[in-house]
Amino acid sequence: MLFLRADTNSEVRKTSYTELADLVAAIEELGEEDGWSGELTFRISLVVDELAQNVVDYAYIDTPGDVEVAVTSTDETVVIEITDEGKPFDPLTEAPAPDLTSPIESRPIGGLGVHFTKTLMDDVEYRRESGQNRLRIVARKVK
Amino acid sequence: MGINAERADGTVIAKADGRIDSSNSREFHSELEAVVADSDAALVLDFEDVAYISSAGMRVILLTAKSLQKSGTKFALCSMDDSIREVFKISGFDKIIEIHQSQAEALSAVGA
Repeated sequence: MLFLRADTNSEVRKTSYTELADLVAAIEELGEEDGWSGELTFRISLVVDELAQNVVDYAYIDTPGDVEVAVTSTDETVVIEITDEGKPFDPLTEAPAPDLTSPIESRPIGGLGVHFTKTLMDDVEYRRESGQNRLRIVARKVK
Repeated sequence: MGINAERADGTVIAKADGRIDSSNSREFHSELEAVVADSDAALVLDFEDVAYISSAGMRVILLTAKSLQKSGTKFALCSMDDSIREVFKISGFDKIIEIHQSQAEALSAVGA
């Protein structure tokens, strides 16, 4: 189960989604309501998509569980907190760095999701706390 | 997500649409494999109607590029919006796969 808790202008909503695509669609809807630029909405949707997929693929590899995505929007930033109760998994250090320079024939497949996060977001932090993996991502609204 | 393809003189023009993500990347891969044959001279993949692509879709693009290189089929992409173009840039794919502004430019680049 995936949750989105959105906090924009103090209005808190909590909704659950069973499909990642629905969660990403909800993020896009939220961005539209909150007046994000199309480019910001794309970046945030992509990063949430990649990181939530990682949680499903790695933290919950043995036992499925919940992923909570909380979005807090201020005048200058969007802060996204992704929390799960799966096994300890820090994508920022455990995901291998992608090879971005080899020619086609030897370019390895994969490793791009976390790279997108590091490249497209302004700040990313991981903490393991109270049996939870917690990722906090910050995107500035104006570059 | 869907792909509409047409072939003229050994060049396949495939136009994808919608969102390409982990929920449909396998389908995207099999549809892409189905529209091009080893004997084709070139594949132009048009992104004009693609709204979104995640790493799952980028994986398919790279697998396709590898497979087309082996069969000696030229591969060019075109008509991406800025956000998708940025995904290709930060993936480093713009250095190994040709990306053109328009379908006409892509066709001209592959010699069609």
